[in-house]
Amino acid sequence: MANKLGEWIEERTGLSKLLKAALDEPVHGGAKWSYIFGSGLVFLFILQAVTGIIMTSYYSPSSTSAWGSVYYLQYKTSFGWFVRGIHHFGSSAMMILALVHMFQVFIFGAYKKPRELNWISGVFLLLLLAGFGLTGYLLPWDQKGYWATQVATNIMGTIPVIGKYIKILHQGGADYGNFTITRFYTLHVFLLPLSLVFFLFIHIALFRKHGVTPCWKMSKEVLKNRVDPFWPDQIFKDAVFAVGIYAALAGVVFWTGGAELEAPADPASNYLARPEWYFLFLFQLLKYCQGNFLIVGTVIVPALALAFLFVLPFIDRNPSLYPSKRAPFFGAVFSGLAGVIALTTLAIHHDSQDIHIIHQREEAEKQASRAVKLASKGIPPAGGMSIFLNDPVYLGEKIFKESCIGCHMVRGEGGENSPDFTNFGSREWVAGLLKNPKDKKYFGESGAMPPTKLPDESILDITEFLLSQSGNLLNINPERVERGKELALKGNCAICHPFGNKEMKKVAPNLTDYLSETWLKEFIRNPADPRFYGARNKMPAFDKLTDRELDAVVQYLFNLSKDRALVSEREEDGKKTYVFGLTSPRAIIDFKGKS
Amino acid sequence: MENSRRKFLKIASHALGGTLAAGVVAPLIGLTVHPLMKETVYGTEDFISIGRVDDFPVGVPTKTTITSSKMDAWNIFEGLVMGSVWVIRKEDNSLNVFSVNCPHLGCGINWGEDVRQFLCPCHEGVFDINGRKISGPAPRDLYSFETKIENNNVLIKFGSFT
Ligand code: HEM
Ligand code: FES
Repeated sequence: MANKLGEWIEERTGLSKLLKAALDEPVHGGAKWSYIFGSGLVFLFILQAVTGIIMTSYYSPSSTSAWGSVYYLQYKTSFGWFVRGIHHFGSSAMMILALVHMFQVFIFGAYKKPRELNWISGVFLLLLLAGFGLTGYLLPWDQKGYWATQVATNIMGTIPVIGKYIKILHQGGADYGNFTITRFYTLHVFLLPLSLVFFLFIHIALFRKHGVTPCWKMSKEVLKNRVDPFWPDQIFKDAVFAVGIYAALAGVVFWTGGAELEAPADPASNYLARPEWYFLFLFQLLKYCQGNFLIVGTVIVPALALAFLFVLPFIDRNPSLYPSKRAPFFGAVFSGLAGVIALTTLAIHHDSQDIHIIHQREEAEKQASRAVKLASKGIPPAGGMSIFLNDPVYLGEKIFKESCIGCHMVRGEGGENSPDFTNFGSREWVAGLLKNPKDKKYFGESGAMPPTKLPDESILDITEFLLSQSGNLLNINPERVERGKELALKGNCAICHPFGNKEMKKVAPNLTDYLSETWLKEFIRNPADPRFYGARNKMPAFDKLTDRELDAVVQYLFNLSKDRALVSEREEDGKKTYVFGLTSPRAIIDFKGKS
Repeated sequence: MENSRRKFLKIASHALGGTLAAGVVAPLIGLTVHPLMKETVYGTEDFISIGRVDDFPVGVPTKTTITSSKMDAWNIFEGLVMGSVWVIRKEDNSLNVFSVNCPHLGCGINWGEDVRQFLCPCHEGVFDINGRKISGPAPRDLYSFETKIENNNVLIKFGSFT
């Protein structure tokens, strides 16, 4: 039966004959490990295609939804991080392998007559790979992709005369927006793959026509007598290589946890853009081409290098494959490679020394994890950035960095003359204050408050009582609160600090509802109020902050310690309840009506 | 010798190819079937607040719009109109909440104050104030939602009904 079907198909298509012809292709001089790179690239291209196609069923190309959809793919599905990781690192692997392949065929002299077009189609493939990398980088619409791609489109803009138009055509407008994504998406998933398949077809057809270029050392006899069939001799080697590539990729994905996703693109931020590593050399080159010379780095050098690759088969006409006979070309190609490696190393080295870049990386990491946390509660339809606009902690941090950090330090950053706010409002922080208010971390030597001379346990009791008034202390210990209250009210604290009545004034700050939302707000608005520091106050009053801003600052302060709940924090991870479309009365009725 | 070597290479290539294909395809399938394993579109609240007890006069059905939020994959849509219900507060302050959609073909039913019955404009379905079917083509009584009262707030479980 199966045989009959096979025959039937064979009679009409000649499929198996075609396959046999393809597989039996003779490899003159024998199957070799040095020929695996091309097929490795074909495997990687297929891998990119299948992972890419599955990812398009999650990706949503618009400036308001791209980040969210990638976030969902990465964090909310079981295999999304893996598939995305394979695609991400697969692109780097393709770039590396294409270069290795190119150098292999260069060293073997495989670009020479009659294989000129084989080589040229290869250069087109390399350009297309760069195109994939460039367009793909933008698609997640995160900080990194957004800013790095701006550099690339600005480079387009420096091309004389037509640059301006090319740039607008790529961006889909004068600035980045929805059409930038849709255009890059069209390029990445339709135009570039179609072009790549087109050139790949030519590339492989020509390779089949001319056969493999053997090593120059191979003698005529071996070349003639040693003939291996493509299947299985060469395919076996190719298969081993493909398995090796995939295992290595999967290893990298597991090791790194997959591709990064930074915080959503914020057009108002000033992010120091860095391109994908394989464009770093161009990026570094630009640093040396300032002002009028910019065009040297953006257009002239790349164009010359490309032109050289395109014309190489025509200027190196000597039929000999011996590297010693092609010394000038080896010199040119390898000094080009050395230049690229040197520029890349310089770029990486420079960034690893640059304190701004290091800070920014840390900052970006923090932002990214905050973004992921906020996004888990759902991203408003206004887009990725809106998770921050509604996030008081984010706004609060911004205000803090503008207005407070000059005096108050947080995690090693900021002024030293006022209390350090690392871990602010936690049990540890308050207990530390009670124990030694004259510490540099708190009020310093000029502080008026004497240290509390009590056993640690009692200090912890007082701390628990003080913070229990704030209304958002987590895991309150009621016994401690009772004991602490006793100690505070009957002991020395109450001599200077009023408790239990907001309006009362004594020499030291009123500690009724200490560090609660209201207490903090009133304090920040006017620290010199007799209820607080009175005449001894040194902190400026922040009475110009709007209610929303003040609220945000207080939320930011709460967020500094793990002991305090954020007032605005909604339930973690929106509880899943009923399923839409399956349980609403309408749906059931509609369904009944139709059946 | 050469033949058995080739035989081995063939088997080995098939094995390698098969393993590779399985390794590539498995996570892709895992990713594709995600919507079978996890809800992607769902309401964020089990019980939705529809107002205070005093908003509903005793014995008079009041039509109320229900708004809540829903998660749609990565997006949250807040303040969405989910539908409408009829709310009837009883003498003992307990509540009946009915879907406005008729259990026949889903038309919006009205309250006829003169006859004190729910009337469906489409095919003359008639229901009493407790939602029980009196006449008409409907196969059952009105859809009713579970309710609870917390701090004088009326909450209904919009996701399921009886
Ligand atoms: C998407 C990227 C590429 C793919 C998928 C690809 C694929 C292949 C394949 C399958 C072969 C036959 C097997 C082999 O000799 O390794 C081949 C051969 C060849 N490729 Fe590529 N290639 C790519 C990029 C390039 C590039 C960037 C160049 C050079 C600029 C190039 C130049 C050549 C040449 C000259 C040959 C003939 C080799 C010979 O005669 O031995 N290819 N390519
Ligand atoms: S839809 Fe209400 S009676 Fe038919």
